[in-house]
Amino acid sequence: MAGRRVAVTGVGVVSPLGATLADFHRALAEGRPGIRRLPPEVAQGSGVQVGALIDWTPAPLFKEAEAANLDRVTQFALAAAAQALAASGLELASANRDRIGVYWGTGMGGAHTLDGAYKSVYGKGDWRLRPLSVVMAMSNAAGSNVAVKHGLRGPFANFATACSSSAMALGEAMHAIAAGRADAIVAGGAEALLTPGMLAAWQALRTLAPADAADAAASCKPFDKRRAGLVLGEGAAVLLLEEESRARARGAKILALLTGYGNSCDAVHMSRPDRDGQVRAMREALAESGLQPKDVGYINAHGTATAVGDVVESEAINTVFEDQAKETWVSSTKSMHGHLLGGAGALELAAALVAFEGTLPPTAFLEQPDPACKLRHVALKAQRVDPPRALMSNSFGFGGSNVVLIAERA
Amino acid sequence: MDTLARIKDLAAKEFSIDAAGLDPAAPLDSLGIDSLSFIEFMFKIEEEFGVTVSDENLKGIKTLADLERHVAAALTAAGKA
Repeated sequence: MAGRRVAVTGVGVVSPLGATLADFHRALAEGRPGIRRLPPEVAQGSGVQVGALIDWTPAPLFKEAEAANLDRVTQFALAAAAQALAASGLELASANRDRIGVYWGTGMGGAHTLDGAYKSVYGKGDWRLRPLSVVMAMSNAAGSNVAVKHGLRGPFANFATACSSSAMALGEAMHAIAAGRADAIVAGGAEALLTPGMLAAWQALRTLAPADAADAAASCKPFDKRRAGLVLGEGAAVLLLEEESRARARGAKILALLTGYGNSCDAVHMSRPDRDGQVRAMREALAESGLQPKDVGYINAHGTATAVGDVVESEAINTVFEDQAKETWVSSTKSMHGHLLGGAGALELAAALVAFEGTLPPTAFLEQPDPACKLRHVALKAQRVDPPRALMSNSFGFGGSNVVLIAERA
Repeated sequence: MDTLARIKDLAAKEFSIDAAGLDPAAPLDSLGIDSLSFIEFMFKIEEEFGVTVSDENLKGIKTLADLERHVAAALTAAGKA
């Protein structure tokens, strides 16, 4: 794919750590968590105690009637996409929008719409559902609304591979631009499934952390001996990807280059992670970027804080990075923003990009590193460093889907 | 408030248009109301007035005035007018 490189020229986020990129990066640098006790109306009888819930008000971005016709996940998506486009400075009005696409990732789609519909039908016995139920709930609703909002008529794709969805959207978008299918792609993902029904389903998996007894905000502790499971979050993140020479020609500020994408399937189990699958994805991403492990100064780990997952990922990183694993910094920012599932890959790449400003975001609350997770942790506090040449972001999903992205300093 | 005025108010809110400038005789598509948006709007109208407009009658509605006529008829039939 020599010739057409892919630049990141704009980032937008709606996250439990803030609804702008600046707020998000500030919270990451300060190691400030967005996890808290779920209010009773959200948790209801699910038994789930904590989550990374966003205090979201659709206004002023959406009028009341408009918001009523958009699932929460789509509202997040539209907000993040608008931020990314504005930040990029790309003039859409004069751009050839047949050459600009949308690549999206989400695990569940319009979960709030579905939850409301089921509540009506099974809870109230009211079978008369809103006519927009289908187009609000479908998995591609968020991405499609982004395309409609901005008139982006280029290639469209929607990935639903659980926790790797938006990382896959970014990787495939990068390939689509490199292959000449598009000149720019609004790529990202969103999730908003903190509904009573979905929480009950997650609780049944016995993989969620209970509230930390002393501090609910400290409930997600990746790589720590005391880790007790993942904490669900919600939000959206969008990166505007552009073919590098066009971005440079219009004088865009280039935040990073996306140069490596690895994609593999464990093909062994629906939920148990597999070291070899993760190793294959990391190696593929490195090979595509043409980089060596020593070039990667920071890894934003998948690091969900489950007993098995963190150990498997640590082993996979050590297998790929060998001696270099002693030098490469690793953190899981899920300790602060929770697990955005389908939105995780995009949000975590957005988080990792602060490394190019010389800040490595920490794994918050990592006071007692598990010896089985032998990594060079950015523990507790952000680390100031010389910006690394490259960074890696890992996203591993249920179903055995492994996606690894590599970004390089512009 | 009469039925038409209530419909115009709801339409103004749903479609972000000025109620004062809404011509009840104008074709719905000229007001920027497409068929899917209209079906969703009908759902809200039925909720608001507590009536049901049959699918058959729905097909004949091309303007807000048509809509008002069907809602008024449904209200009369239900003994609500």
